[in-house]
Amino acid sequence: MNKLKESGWHIILLAICLILLLPVVFMISNSFKTLQDSYHSMLQIIPMHPTVNNYTTLGRQVNLLRLIWNTFFMATIVTLGKIITGLLAAYAFKYFSFKGKRWVYLVFVSTIFVPFTVIMIPNYLVISKINLLNTAFGVALPQLCDATGIMLFLKAMDKIPNSLIESLEIDGISSHKILKDIVIPILRPSIISVGAIFFINSWNEYVWPTLILKDKSSFTLPLALQNYISSEGGTNFPLAMALSTIMIVVPLIIYLIFQRYILNSISSSGLK
Amino acid sequence: MGNKAALELNKVTKKYKRTDVISKMNLKVRNGEFLVLLGPSGCGKSTTLRMMAGLEKPSDGQILIDGKDAQKMTSYERNIAMVFQDYALYPNMTVYQNLEYALKVHKVRKNEREHRLKKIIATLDLAAYRDRLPGQLSGGQKQRVALGRGMAKKSRIFLLDEPLSNIDVQLREKARDEIQNLHEKNQQTIVYVTHDQLEAMALGDRIAIINEGKIQMIDTPDNIYNHPANLFVAKFVGTPQINILEIAYRKEQIYLKDKLLPLSVECLKKAALSDGKLHLGIRPEHVSVKREKRNATGLELPVKVEQVIDYGRYQQLLLNIGEEQNIKAITTNNEFKNGDLAYASFSEERILFFEYTSGINIES
Repeated sequence: MNKLKESGWHIILLAICLILLLPVVFMISNSFKTLQDSYHSMLQIIPMHPTVNNYTTLGRQVNLLRLIWNTFFMATIVTLGKIITGLLAAYAFKYFSFKGKRWVYLVFVSTIFVPFTVIMIPNYLVISKINLLNTAFGVALPQLCDATGIMLFLKAMDKIPNSLIESLEIDGISSHKILKDIVIPILRPSIISVGAIFFINSWNEYVWPTLILKDKSSFTLPLALQNYISSEGGTNFPLAMALSTIMIVVPLIIYLIFQRYILNSISSSGLK
Repeated sequence: MGNKAALELNKVTKKYKRTDVISKMNLKVRNGEFLVLLGPSGCGKSTTLRMMAGLEKPSDGQILIDGKDAQKMTSYERNIAMVFQDYALYPNMTVYQNLEYALKVHKVRKNEREHRLKKIIATLDLAAYRDRLPGQLSGGQKQRVALGRGMAKKSRIFLLDEPLSNIDVQLREKARDEIQNLHEKNQQTIVYVTHDQLEAMALGDRIAIINEGKIQMIDTPDNIYNHPANLFVAKFVGTPQINILEIAYRKEQIYLKDKLLPLSVECLKKAALSDGKLHLGIRPEHVSVKREKRNATGLELPVKVEQVIDYGRYQQLLLNIGEEQNIKAITTNNEFKNGDLAYASFSEERILFFEYTSGINIES
């Protein structure tokens, strides 16, 4: 009976894995098909006439390195910004006592529930007023601080025993040294996993950069991809799949490098 | 041991939301003294220590360190070292880095640092672990590192918050001896918090017994044990607990319920200081149990052995003295078993009397 139950679960999990993997396999497979084949037999996994033409064409049509660099640069700035501000704010909320701390924290956290569409236009107006339209910094600026980060880092800091910080205070260690030498090294797995999530979110970001970036030379990957699936960009489907495949490579590499930390912190959250 | 106070509390009160955790506490810690704060959990002993360290602010009153007002100093300026119950070692640093860190931050010269740490590592026998992370150490080793970190600072006052409570019982005695040796060697002023009376007795020059935010008694271990100031102290110190009997002083005699207790004149004199009801206290080791009646004058109660716990070295007996009252006795004869009938007598010079309502020792 138990075995039956177990196999049942395995089948369900397998089905979920397939559902999750299918679009990725579909994307990679179609990126190696000719235009004709892709329309003719779109759902066929193994390409009939495998070709790397889509990739070489892409290389000729767009400056791939430039695109990857633009996206990487943006995502890195946003990620670093969110981590730095998040850590500093969380540290203050955790270890400093000041008037109205609870309220300030509540206000910060409540910003998580404000939908992006609500602040999109005010943000756009501000960025345009300070002449940052069409710049990477204009895209990054409103995203340098994120209440999600504050909340997650604060939760992670809860795992550090108070006595540790008190003992440092007794030894006359300043707050910035405590943060740099003790808190950050202890929180490293949390910082990396939160950072990875920030990075991937920013990497995939589409709507906000579309509003700010007009010049093709400053486009990020999602914006460039849009050119191949929009009405004006034509209908070269396998080309779009090739660009999509390129787009997931960098986050994949980052994940592979840091997977030890990411999995660790997911499975150990809640442990001391 | 100098008599100048290294640390002084004057009418210190600590409130949490209107309840007094500590109320108007006066305490003088002498220079070079090993003072133990002993009490049940939640009595305020840790709070007292944390106020000394500057980790908590008193709601009222004054704390003096070397005669100077401590409230104007940060924890660091108080020049104290504190060892926490969980040791608070920096988990990302090796033993050596843990010892060195604060010195490095405060720009103590490299030679000086190495010189100091070399001595500490030798004293605490940490050489084999110097490159290990705290996660790879046992409780006893961690505790030694925590002590070493305090020593590296060369503070004159050491505050220790239940440092042995996370150590295996087998190692606790050894760790306790180490602390005592260190104190004898360095003559630092130590304030040590514990709820373990054996630890307190073994370590303290003086013990302050705290209950419900008030010091019940502060004195040497000997006086605390033999001349407790009140019922609480008498009951809190000593295992098995002191026997307490409710008695009445009537017509120049002492009665346990309706039974006359033929006690000596000295005892009667003491009891006469109270009016009517009072508590009689006698420690189990001062109750002697014999199989035969000795025909002597004085108190001899017929008892029935209800329970025998054999500790090898001695037996702990639970004796029924009638009137639904039980007392405990310790005997080294190891000859009794359940259900035996015997006679119990008290060492009368050891009998203590406490006022019925206040619980104050009549003698004091």
